[in-house]
Amino acid sequence: MALDIQAIRSDFPILNRILPNGKQLVYFDNAATSQKPQCVIDAMTNFYENYNSNAHRANHTLADEASAALENARTQISDFFGAKPENLIYTSGATEAINLVSFGWARNNLNEDDVIVVTEMEHHADIVPWQELSKEKGVEVRYVPINIETFVLDMEAFEVAVEGASLVCVTHTSNVLGIRNPIEKIIDLSKKSGAAVLIDCAQGAPHEKIEFEHLGADFIAISAHKMAGPTGIGCLLTTSERIQQMKPFMTGGSIIKKVTMDGTIFKDGHEMFETGTPRIAEAIGWGAAVEWLDQFEMKDIHEHIHNIASLAGDEMRSIPGIKIYGDPNNKDSAGAISFLHETIQSQDLAILLDEGGFAVRTGHHCAQPLMDALGVPSTNRASFWIYNTKQEVEAFVKHLRYICERFS
Amino acid sequence: MTNNWPENLRKIIEEFKDCFDSMERYELLFEYAKKNPNSLSMEEWNEENQVLGCQSRAHVECMLDENGNFLLKTGADAQIVQGLMAITAIAVNGLSSFEVSKLSPSYVEEMGLKSSLTPSRANGFLNMFRRVISEAEILAEA
Repeated sequence: MALDIQAIRSDFPILNRILPNGKQLVYFDNAATSQKPQCVIDAMTNFYENYNSNAHRANHTLADEASAALENARTQISDFFGAKPENLIYTSGATEAINLVSFGWARNNLNEDDVIVVTEMEHHADIVPWQELSKEKGVEVRYVPINIETFVLDMEAFEVAVEGASLVCVTHTSNVLGIRNPIEKIIDLSKKSGAAVLIDCAQGAPHEKIEFEHLGADFIAISAHKMAGPTGIGCLLTTSERIQQMKPFMTGGSIIKKVTMDGTIFKDGHEMFETGTPRIAEAIGWGAAVEWLDQFEMKDIHEHIHNIASLAGDEMRSIPGIKIYGDPNNKDSAGAISFLHETIQSQDLAILLDEGGFAVRTGHHCAQPLMDALGVPSTNRASFWIYNTKQEVEAFVKHLRYICERFS
Repeated sequence: MTNNWPENLRKIIEEFKDCFDSMERYELLFEYAKKNPNSLSMEEWNEENQVLGCQSRAHVECMLDENGNFLLKTGADAQIVQGLMAITAIAVNGLSSFEVSKLSPSYVEEMGLKSSLTPSRANGFLNMFRRVISEAEILAEA
């Protein structure tokens, strides 16, 4: 069913923003973070205005309401991702979720005989923790390359790398290329090799319905802020079996059954991993975000973004000097288009685009190994989401063409 | 040193103020980048003179000329940063190191390029500028 984009846009007050230079904001930095609908802002404001309290810690009305809201959000979010509430561990985002797997599971279950497989297109958040683990425990880290002509993962190389692996860590969708990996096949091959699987869904979750139990991965890392939720919260989805194999990597209050001078007895299950005051407002905001998203079919959102990205890709290719990294016309691509101009440096190009009101990202996108593979230090990236329009893309391409003609 | 700019810099500020819009200002900046009087060629770029930044490569060398006056040489892959540093070089070269050490970067704002000074872009021009001031302070004390 076609989405009513104008109605959707009306839910996002920031999209009416006029920038200091008088230009209307056109927000194409969605792979960095999405904008937030009014209902998310309202849910968090309502918490602070009416029932702000610490959760799980007192016997007064506000504490009861805050605790109930926190756990209600856990149910909303886990339902959205096809997981059980007890298999959702709140984290600060996907980065902390991956670190939780590294510190909480891998350090206790892997040693120098083990192999971790990652890909060349991972975000640093899914590379650095494994490099650090390798230094500490002697675990071997194998990198699966991409094909730099098609920008897709080299699955033949993956099939070789996964042999004898204990853990496979793969991004659902590249934050640079917008390329969606064949995660179903990756999970299948990994399971056949006896490896646990971690899927970084920071980029995938805003574009596709992630069904945790259906996918069969052991770990899924998600950030709320890229899917209409607030910053500062995300989660690790995992199985009860894997939780049994994990130990907390951050300790303190809230996660204990009993503390004596002789030691500590921890709580069981997900409660063992959420020490300190919970991110209550953020969880409530994320719950509101998934409720807002749930009014749509994710496949409709993906189709809309795909149409926008395909149009942008086609038009951008017609501009002399512009090279695109990725395949926005691929039906699985998730709306991120990396690009460079042959003579206008990427930071210059981003600043000149900003002069027209167009917000794009510039840099290595926390994916330096991928930049090395592509042979570039950085790229510009335009990334689209549910509220972006064909008219915005046309205005963007017009301004980009003008910059290229005037400054190259 | 604010609002009392070196003569060379004052003329450039006026030139930018005469621009029709921001795109014309950036076009003028690109021209200054191309005619940097004391540019560091890429062969001269090294780790020692590199100003670390996420989005662009930038290099700075500060020294005294044969008359004991300040001499700034710069190089950057981003034309906007290179243009701003070329203007800085035009402004400071020939001054005493002490005078350079008192220079404020606010001339960029007067030129109508305030956004070049915002924190997210500071890893380009502003980091280079701070390096220049720091080295000028050292040279002034020597």
